Amino acid sequence: MMQLAFAHPAAETLSSFIDYTVNGLVIGNIYALLAVGLALIFGVANLINFAHGSVYTIGAYVGWAAITFLHTPLPVTMAIVFVVCALLGMGIERIALRPLQGKARIAPLLATIGLSFVLDQLVQLVCSPDPRAVPSDLPDWRLAVGGVSIGPMDFLIAAVGIVSAALLYAFLRFTKLGLAVRATAQDRDAALQMGVNVNAVNSAVFAIASALGGLGGLLVGMYYNHIDPAMSFQATLKGIVAQVIGGVGNVPGAILGGALLGLTESYGIAVFGTTYRNLFAFVLLIAFLVWFPSGLFGARSAIHTEPLVGTFIAPSRPIRAPRWAVASLAIAAFALPLVTSAPYLLQTLTNAWLAAMLALSLTLVAGTAGQISLGQAALLAIGGYASALLAIDLGAPAIASVPAAGVITAALGALLVFPAFRLRGHYIAIATLAIGEIVSLVILNWESLTGGAMGLTGIPPLSFLGRDLNSNRAIYWTCLVVLVAIAALQTRLLASHLGRTLRAVREDEIAAQSYGVDLDRYKALAFAFGGFAAGVAGAITAHLYSYLNNQTFDSQLSLLALTMVILGGMGNVLGAIVGAVALVGLPELFRVAAEYRILIYGVVLLLLVRFRPQGLLGTV
Amino acid sequence: MSYPHSLKLMSLARSLILAISLVALGGATAFAQTAGGEPVTIGVSGPLTGQNAQYGAQWKKGFDLALDEVNAKGGVNGRPLQYVFEDSQADPRQTVAIAQKFVSDPKIVVEVGDFSSTASMAASPIYQRAGLVQFGFTNSHPNFTKGGDFIWSNSVSQADEQPRLAKYAADLGFKRLAVLYLNTDWGRQSQKIFTEAAKADGLDVVASEGYQPDEKDFRSTLVRVRDAKPDAIVLISYYADGALITRQIRTVGLTTPIVASGSIYSPKFIELAGDAANGVFTETNFFPGENRPEVQTFVTKFRAKYNEEPDDFNAIAYDTIILLAAVMDEHGVDRTAIRNGLAHIKDVPSVIYGKATFDPETRRVAGARAVYLVIKNGQYTLWDGKKPSAT
Repeated sequence: MMQLAFAHPAAETLSSFIDYTVNGLVIGNIYALLAVGLALIFGVANLINFAHGSVYTIGAYVGWAAITFLHTPLPVTMAIVFVVCALLGMGIERIALRPLQGKARIAPLLATIGLSFVLDQLVQLVCSPDPRAVPSDLPDWRLAVGGVSIGPMDFLIAAVGIVSAALLYAFLRFTKLGLAVRATAQDRDAALQMGVNVNAVNSAVFAIASALGGLGGLLVGMYYNHIDPAMSFQATLKGIVAQVIGGVGNVPGAILGGALLGLTESYGIAVFGTTYRNLFAFVLLIAFLVWFPSGLFGARSAIHTEPLVGTFIAPSRPIRAPRWAVASLAIAAFALPLVTSAPYLLQTLTNAWLAAMLALSLTLVAGTAGQISLGQAALLAIGGYASALLAIDLGAPAIASVPAAGVITAALGALLVFPAFRLRGHYIAIATLAIGEIVSLVILNWESLTGGAMGLTGIPPLSFLGRDLNSNRAIYWTCLVVLVAIAALQTRLLASHLGRTLRAVREDEIAAQSYGVDLDRYKALAFAFGGFAAGVAGAITAHLYSYLNNQTFDSQLSLLALTMVILGGMGNVLGAIVGAVALVGLPELFRVAAEYRILIYGVVLLLLVRFRPQGLLGTV
Repeated sequence: MSYPHSLKLMSLARSLILAISLVALGGATAFAQTAGGEPVTIGVSGPLTGQNAQYGAQWKKGFDLALDEVNAKGGVNGRPLQYVFEDSQADPRQTVAIAQKFVSDPKIVVEVGDFSSTASMAASPIYQRAGLVQFGFTNSHPNFTKGGDFIWSNSVSQADEQPRLAKYAADLGFKRLAVLYLNTDWGRQSQKIFTEAAKADGLDVVASEGYQPDEKDFRSTLVRVRDAKPDAIVLISYYADGALITRQIRTVGLTTPIVASGSIYSPKFIELAGDAANGVFTETNFFPGENRPEVQTFVTKFRAKYNEEPDDFNAIAYDTIILLAAVMDEHGVDRTAIRNGLAHIKDVPSVIYGKATFDPETRRVAGARAVYLVIKNGQYTLWDGKKPSAT
């Protein structure tokens, strides 16, 4: 697949280089527009707003509706979108985020994830999932630059991005409200003491950021003449990358971050081809996090002060389920197939047991050791492919290939996350998100090993002592036994000095270090153990499905795993299992609601975060 | 410590299990019945929410139209035909649960779907073991039907489709082709077959670029394409992404002719691509202007029911229900009878195939129809056989 594009005569190479540069800046424009809003919210509320892409989508649809039904000219459309999305942003802040103030910082993060489900699904229900065309009434002229051209929309997008960044910069720097915003960003409690109306500040920030996000959606929709309800996730992802590169929370930096991201993608395509595009974007992100963690313009100290120790994860008194209750639950789970043979119930619970292994892996890494990972699904993929390849290419029986896959995943998992070890808080989340995407793109592009998009077929079923495990009961019990074993091991681990050390790392890295804890070593241990659990889960899944490709374990699954862990209570072993059963079970329960079920799921999630931010069973 | 909490937990778990089993027993059934007696139920597993929801919505339109027709004629074996659509989000974790739900529900006599191979093939072992036919109609992965003798598909074989597209490009007089393909199992497979066929026809494939399904920006890809100096750009795309690319090709000022695979055939393609759609060459398995009775019935009824033009996904969904109804009517409505019926049924009228007959070995249908088209003034029109003037 790889073709070197620069094998042309020199003059042509130069002109193509200019074209790639122009194209990189054009797409970078769009990323910048997304990044400005995200940066503003991050700067003030210290929050990665996963609902930003959803606001962007809603902005696009509001604009579409205005143009289609009211035949509004562009300036009016833009004004309508601006106002509607500003109100939406204020609503989000008031209803979903303000009640969470003073709770752990992880709670609003989860709330924005829940919100994004709700908003995306609402758009889809109201406007149908079909993509729509968004006509623009801009004049149809093109300005030739090198071998390509730019049009009025490119200028408009750039202007909106740069002007809004400049205005925001001036506003933050020179106005009284701006001062209040900066004070709130620096220290909310101190600002409150000084008489700053913190709520009004947050509300204003969400209004501005959301208005910009919505405007971005409209302009991008017109640019491509295409909007669809599923456009939000990719938008959030690219916006986050751009704002990290520009310096987290830095508004003017977001513009440059967007440009740099666009250029990297464009040059990546130029040299290696289109399938490598996102790979370069995420490698760039990791490079920045490792070498320039404060981005192009971030304050040098930004990364060290965030987060304040211990406040990232909700402190709480965990609910201790008595031993007899846990034991009887386990016995009930084992006995269930004897009572009923309902395949759908057993399959749903089997899915829950597999998800619980992933949740256990994440709760150890994120809850106990404090390393919030948004790329945990990549570990499933590594385990799945490892076991499948051992079985297909070497004919290894499942009883050997599954644990081997666990070990391989443990080693690779710890190694891959190694660059992120020096990061903290949100930065680890962003880095692991990128690492997860990189793993999935490597799987897509390494065709000779993984089969690429075609995937691996004919993965043999699980077998034990030469007999295939095909019955629902046998599969159910196998997964349950593995889950109980991992859970028991993890409980044992957490009770040992290792568990205490990991928690010390989570609470205060510097204090832990000064007590002689080798941070890297303990983080690596956490990721290795977590990698083993996730690798085994991925391996079993591969044998059950018999088919894997690059989409089997996608990044949405990483988000789902984090949701399970937070829901159950960070670091809580039983909580992870409860969270997994709940989040695998709920969408199945809501099946009767057909198209509405993801909406209901999002609402339930929001309510849970609102009323029990420390999780059902509490943080350990 | 806190005793009430653990009780609460237990009761939560209990009510969850209870509720799951209730749903398992219940399930959502709907849809009009005109014929009498106990309805015969098809289980559909497909995306109604998530990234691919638009395709699930297209399926439903095709299904409902076919059901109207079947039930107006008295259903199957005198019983009304209906379907239960379970939303899978095209997610393998959900298709396996749906599969278990269907196989354990004696009312379900045949399963249809899922959308992507990732989602469908994860569930194949469950259907195969249970002896319930999994009928995938958008599953072009070459190994899909190799999952077992209960796994069938009438999806248009890319081994038929792509060589025809290559032939069309050759007939149009093009020599150097740049291929842009959707980097999924379908797109990659199609691209491979297309490239081989093009070479066999003496054409040069000078560039091959795979793009991700959620990609929106193709400007830099198009610089690569331009630098390869093709005399036509070939799109192996669905309508939404195909329209995005077509539009951007024209926006950046490239005048290279575009030849697109039949999967873009949809009125939506023209709506989304706008003026840029004019001049695009494509082919389709059916064309509203065709005189075949099955095409005329389908197109007329579709327009009447939905007040819009049908597309490829509507047509294949419609075909699938008509086909399964014919199998059930002739061979009975139990699971094994349907499996055996698929192997025996001959020449079922079909929008896509003209007459559909399965090869019992591959469990697929060969010989999809093809009509060469070109878009003129925002309309699909039959190709007049004229070669475009070279640019």
